[in-house]
Amino acid sequence: MTFSGALTLTDLNDFITPSQACIKPVEEVKRPEDYKEPGAASTAIHVDSAGSYYEVTANGSLNGVSSSRKLETAQISLNDCLACSGCITSAESVLITMQSHEEVFNFLSTNPPRTSPEHRIPVLSISPQSLASLSASLSSSSSASISISQVLRRLRVICKNDLGFTHVYDTTFARHIALLEHAQEFSERRAGTGSAENKLPMLSSACPGWVCYAEKTHAEMLPFISRSKSPQQVMGTLVKHWLGEKWGKKPHQIYHVTVMPCYDKKLEASRQDFYNDLYSTRDVDCVITTGELELMMRARNSDLSASVPDEERHLSPSEPNFDDLPELLSHPGSSSGSYLQSLISEYLTDGSELSTRTIRNADYEEHVITNKSTGNVVFKGAKCYGFRNLQNVVRKVGKEAGVQIGRGAAGRLSSVRTKRNMSSRGGKNAEVEKDKAYDYVEVMACPSGCVNGGGQLKSQITRSQNQDNAEETSEARWGDKEWTKRVEEAYWHNLPTPPPSPSFSPVSAETYDPHVFANEFARRILVDLCKPHNGAESAWRTRMDADAEKMRASLFRTQYRAVESNVVGLQVNW
Amino acid sequence: MDSDVLMDHNTEFQLMQVAEFSNHEERVWHLAWNPTRPLLASCSSDKSVNLYHYDTTGKFEQATSISTGHSKTVRAVAWAPSGKTLATASFDSQVGIWEQEEPEEEGGAPGEWECTILEGHENECKCVAYSSSGTLLATCSRDKTVWVWEVQPDSEFECVGVLMEHTQDVKCVAWHPTEEILASASYDDTIRLYVDDPDEDWYAFQVLSGHESTVWSLAFSPCGKYLASASDDLTIRLWRRAAQFKWEPIGMLRGHDRTIFSVSWGLGNGDGENAGWLASTGSDGKINVWEMKAPENGTLDSKLIATLRDAHSVSDVNCVAWNPRPGLGDLLATAGDDCSVRVWRITGVA
Repeated sequence: MTFSGALTLTDLNDFITPSQACIKPVEEVKRPEDYKEPGAASTAIHVDSAGSYYEVTANGSLNGVSSSRKLETAQISLNDCLACSGCITSAESVLITMQSHEEVFNFLSTNPPRTSPEHRIPVLSISPQSLASLSASLSSSSSASISISQVLRRLRVICKNDLGFTHVYDTTFARHIALLEHAQEFSERRAGTGSAENKLPMLSSACPGWVCYAEKTHAEMLPFISRSKSPQQVMGTLVKHWLGEKWGKKPHQIYHVTVMPCYDKKLEASRQDFYNDLYSTRDVDCVITTGELELMMRARNSDLSASVPDEERHLSPSEPNFDDLPELLSHPGSSSGSYLQSLISEYLTDGSELSTRTIRNADYEEHVITNKSTGNVVFKGAKCYGFRNLQNVVRKVGKEAGVQIGRGAAGRLSSVRTKRNMSSRGGKNAEVEKDKAYDYVEVMACPSGCVNGGGQLKSQITRSQNQDNAEETSEARWGDKEWTKRVEEAYWHNLPTPPPSPSFSPVSAETYDPHVFANEFARRILVDLCKPHNGAESAWRTRMDADAEKMRASLFRTQYRAVESNVVGLQVNW
Repeated sequence: MDSDVLMDHNTEFQLMQVAEFSNHEERVWHLAWNPTRPLLASCSSDKSVNLYHYDTTGKFEQATSISTGHSKTVRAVAWAPSGKTLATASFDSQVGIWEQEEPEEEGGAPGEWECTILEGHENECKCVAYSSSGTLLATCSRDKTVWVWEVQPDSEFECVGVLMEHTQDVKCVAWHPTEEILASASYDDTIRLYVDDPDEDWYAFQVLSGHESTVWSLAFSPCGKYLASASDDLTIRLWRRAAQFKWEPIGMLRGHDRTIFSVSWGLGNGDGENAGWLASTGSDGKINVWEMKAPENGTLDSKLIATLRDAHSVSDVNCVAWNPRPGLGDLLATAGDDCSVRVWRITGVA
């Protein structure tokens, strides 16, 4: 591009190449230099056929032998990405070496045998959205539909026999615990018993893309974001602490891999908060996507389309069994974790009614519970998916809570009178109630939520050829939408239907209700891990003694911190 | 129709300077004529917006200067079709929406300009544009995205689309004159066209490729059948709407020997086959005006009718804009690196 003759260095960024290259500075450790001939020729860089870089002294040596030194490759770890705000959540485009299926293969092939004290137990935990993606994919290439419980059973065989995992779980029980803790946190916030920092509306925190975005660009949203751990990280706690103890293993003696619909889950697992300093290990050692799991199976020639014995066996045991984690617990609501629904279930009573309003499309819905007799709003929540809707939530929550939105915006417009909201609202109570602020928002960065995550298998609906440009585009869009719909169907298909409002009552011996059983299981885990004084009476939703509560916070909650941008300043001032 | 126009030949029209303002302290980036009132707005690296008033005799004077509070360059300005609201796009990543306070008493002087801030872009916001109905606002940025906002009562805005189609810096957004079709131009050399899917989100229905370098500016023809794009490849390309969701190349104009930064498509003088006047400016400091004709046979003919060198002495000319108000279609304004805003009238050569 041609520069005009009068170009000066101002904040004229129209001329800067805008690609967001990674800006992580590469550190190089200077080695003591060899004695250099005065005036010796400088070195050159050569690239060999394997792509390695060598620094070569160009025929300058006295003995005529040119020496070459292999140069270090610059490494960008996920931690670098988390600490930087250069690019937002574009984990997919970052060179990810610490968490990939190659890394899992690498671990499995170098893991010492079971008899060795160095052996680490390989555990795989798969998300229900990943199972749904695999199920939709299998079903599209076969005459019969393959349910997610069949997929889980087949995976269990493949992961144990072909890949070498010792245990294979799904993450729905971890999600059950995450939902319990989530509801507990919400009731604390609502009662104002949490710390002053904890505000309403509470915003869900299971989507790492959203959390990462908020930390980098909307620090003012952080107090609203739920501190409860995501299902992945609860699973990490269960595997490394509770199951580990059952197996007589320390956290670092277990290698825990999760399979997720989303690349940003890799960032989540890499957070410093989930690193155990004592044992130098993470709660989740490696996260792979659904697509990467498929690559692994392909590399081992595993056939997920082949059925395995007993794959259609009924899921629920006839007797409650507290030896192994419950599997494939269905949580009605959304295919992204049912966070909103779990709260609705709690506040919806016989005396109240629920109304649902779709705003534009299913990615933005408002759910309002009103008291039938008084008409008062008891609870107002929303489900908000996709980057665009997320923007509106940030604006709305910021406005309602009276916080200034945006990075460094405070004082920016000090010289200008900022527009006030002049309109006076009608004094009628009903009007005011209608405008009641949200109590809770289930936020997900992907349109359609987690079933449509970036790590899922690609659409297998074939696109028709020979279309002109515009039609092809809409065809592709239709295909992707249709595919997401099928994954969504697979997600809900063939799961035992739980009662519409799962109750958190103690287990009853007569009928097997997976949720009641799961609650009792969760209660036992809480008691095992937190060791409250009044163990037997403790339940997930009761407050325990201070020490036990502290333990609960360390095991099932987390924290967020604003990432200061150091990038914008660098880029604009030249 | 690659009309390799000869530059300094005698033309039928000439550009006469009507006014010149040098009130900005730094380069002037962009201009917007108010669609309903006799006002012209300019914005600058000095972070201010200046408003100029003109009367029926064509006399221009500076009306006011707004210190926007933006912390960096104000790169673009746009008026809402009502003429009451002004939007600013700044390198500080924010978009400002400006409305003048109602007069305290009836007939009194209007109050100060008040601002609502739209945030969302990651970094430098490059352009802002209102749809023809005024219900939608589009913005674009170096962060490669185009955002569509719905304008709601009480200065509220709802984001209705974040379009991540471009692979580089987005330089310009422009709305179709009557329909809700949005076009964006980028450093990735492409133009993208978007519409709303009422059941879903905004989406890109077509990519217009052909330019060999950055596309800096876009202008739909007043009739809405054509689109002009100006580029660093020294061409203006013309595109025709062939079907509801299909645009195709129909021609190319040459006439600049440095980057073309801005193109504006005015009503022209209303001749029979008239498709308006197209004006362009750029780094070569030149203003070119083409008369566009769309005869029955479906072609789009162009003729260079006026050209002016060194419009802002030796400086780049960053923006050109025709006055959109009826009966004033012979007025155009330019903004330059020499910190000046100039207004020109195109007149026939006697």
